[in-house]
Amino acid sequence: MRKNKAMIFWFCLPAVLSLLIMFVYPVCRTVLMSFFRVESLTAGLGDWSFFGLGNYSKIFSSQSFRTAMSNMVVIWLVGGLITLALALLMSVVLTSGIRGKKFFRAAIYMPNIISAVALATMWIQYIFQYDYGLLNAIVTTLGMEKVKWLGSDMKFWTMTASFIFGSVGYYMLIYISGIEGIPQDLYEAATLDGASKVQQFFRLTLPLLKGVIKTSITFWSINATTFFLWSKMFSPIDTEESTIVPVIYLYDMVFGGKGVVNRDAGAGAAVGVVLTLLIIAVYVITNRLFKKTDLEY
Amino acid sequence: MKKGTNAYRPRINWKKEARLLPGYLIVVLWVVFTAVMLFWILGASLSTSREIFSGHVLKFESGLHWENYATAWQVQNVSVFFGNSLLYSVISCAGVLAISAPAAYVLSRWKFRGGAALRIGLVVAMSVPIIMVIMPIYSLAVQWGIKGRLLLILLYIMMRVPYTTIYLLDFFSTLSRSYEEAAYLDGCSGPKTFLKIMLPLVQPAVVTVTIFNFMSVWNEFFMALIFTSSESMTPVGVGLLNIINSMKYTGNYGGMFAAVIIVFLPTFLLYIFMSEKIIAGVTGGGVKG
Repeated sequence: MRKNKAMIFWFCLPAVLSLLIMFVYPVCRTVLMSFFRVESLTAGLGDWSFFGLGNYSKIFSSQSFRTAMSNMVVIWLVGGLITLALALLMSVVLTSGIRGKKFFRAAIYMPNIISAVALATMWIQYIFQYDYGLLNAIVTTLGMEKVKWLGSDMKFWTMTASFIFGSVGYYMLIYISGIEGIPQDLYEAATLDGASKVQQFFRLTLPLLKGVIKTSITFWSINATTFFLWSKMFSPIDTEESTIVPVIYLYDMVFGGKGVVNRDAGAGAAVGVVLTLLIIAVYVITNRLFKKTDLEY
Repeated sequence: MKKGTNAYRPRINWKKEARLLPGYLIVVLWVVFTAVMLFWILGASLSTSREIFSGHVLKFESGLHWENYATAWQVQNVSVFFGNSLLYSVISCAGVLAISAPAAYVLSRWKFRGGAALRIGLVVAMSVPIIMVIMPIYSLAVQWGIKGRLLLILLYIMMRVPYTTIYLLDFFSTLSRSYEEAAYLDGCSGPKTFLKIMLPLVQPAVVTVTIFNFMSVWNEFFMALIFTSSESMTPVGVGLLNIINSMKYTGNYGGMFAAVIIVFLPTFLLYIFMSEKIIAGVTGGGVKG
């Protein structure tokens, strides 16, 4: 087949331009901006003054940023463990030969398809609602006092719980495709050797899923560090200490939220760089941890 | 004939089903919870605020209050949000395809200078967090004087280019080169071969990727929140947030739940009809162990 240079050029040009405008240029500028004192986003390069690591020391000495970071780490670690464990459980159940597998799979993945704003509203205005909500209806039936699920002491955990509910289905699909990729004769051989189902899970399924689990940890890390929507939904008007996360902090800092007197785009850029470095760190560490025992089948 | 088909149906093995009981319990509980939530919201969208607060949802003692939908659609501006989201999603899907399909095609067909770099760039761009690009994009938009609907559409298009290109690239690579050889011998030009022969061959992949792009743009929230300056250009996600924030003043709970259902319905219906294709697409493109 002849190579048509003009055609290659014109066919690639729009994609290249999109990549440059939407990703390459902005990422470079954000990294650069994090080392400069930049008050307004629209300030030209001429109005930037070099600030060294000033933005970084500013955000790390800010109490709300530290709260935001610790909230994020809890969501990442606790939420991650629960989400991935539930997803693994669901995927094992669905591949165990139960009836209606396709229906269950579709139903559990469904929350990922619908608007997260609508989903969060369902949780806030129904499940956790104080007066007529589902949880309080159950609580009163059991003869106990109603609980303020959306009070500031419970809010973080109710937010995390509803986020987990919405996320499980996606990781479940990844695990199902991983499990279905494992040759069936391995299980037959294990059964013949007298391995129980539980033994088969820990000795066979889990080790063979290593690669898929690695991928899911990376995806979860990206989702947890860029956590924004659920926090905005649970504290829609004012940012609250119980639900603040780094991206909310960045949003208030750069685009103006309540209580932010001086906007600071440089500090916002520093937040972005810190989060990106965290994602890269998690990626590198999981790759190291899971690398040595790459199995072939 | 009936007897024949019966013979082929696998008999229920009760011993096996009993062993799977704990598994059934887990998934059934999860799905029942989801269903209760959806049906209650649907019921609430057809109830009055008083019925909702007195716990009488799904009893419909005063009939079905369809006027909640009319209120949400007209008074609470859901029609505007809905129209905007539809506009953004449809135009973006078409725009992404126009940019990504040609690039994916030549990337899959020829080795050329910069091709490998472009490929790597696209893969990396797929995992660049939005917060790393949003600030310079904002200043660039101000500098170039692009705003409103046009800005959002352009951003949605460019945002989906990396994923779409990589997804289609995998499918173009599976096509045999003999199609192009034949077309070339018949005197068909390169671009024409692409449009008339190769693109139709990857149509299933185009459909899948377009569904994903549609859902992604329909559900997008962060950029919409930052770049919409008036109600008239607000898409559904941010619009719903505005409705909830104004609930304190309107007190119209039925209308709010109706708005939730309206926002929820398009992608949900798409899913009802295409769940197999969507689920296959989730793990088909790029997710490998």
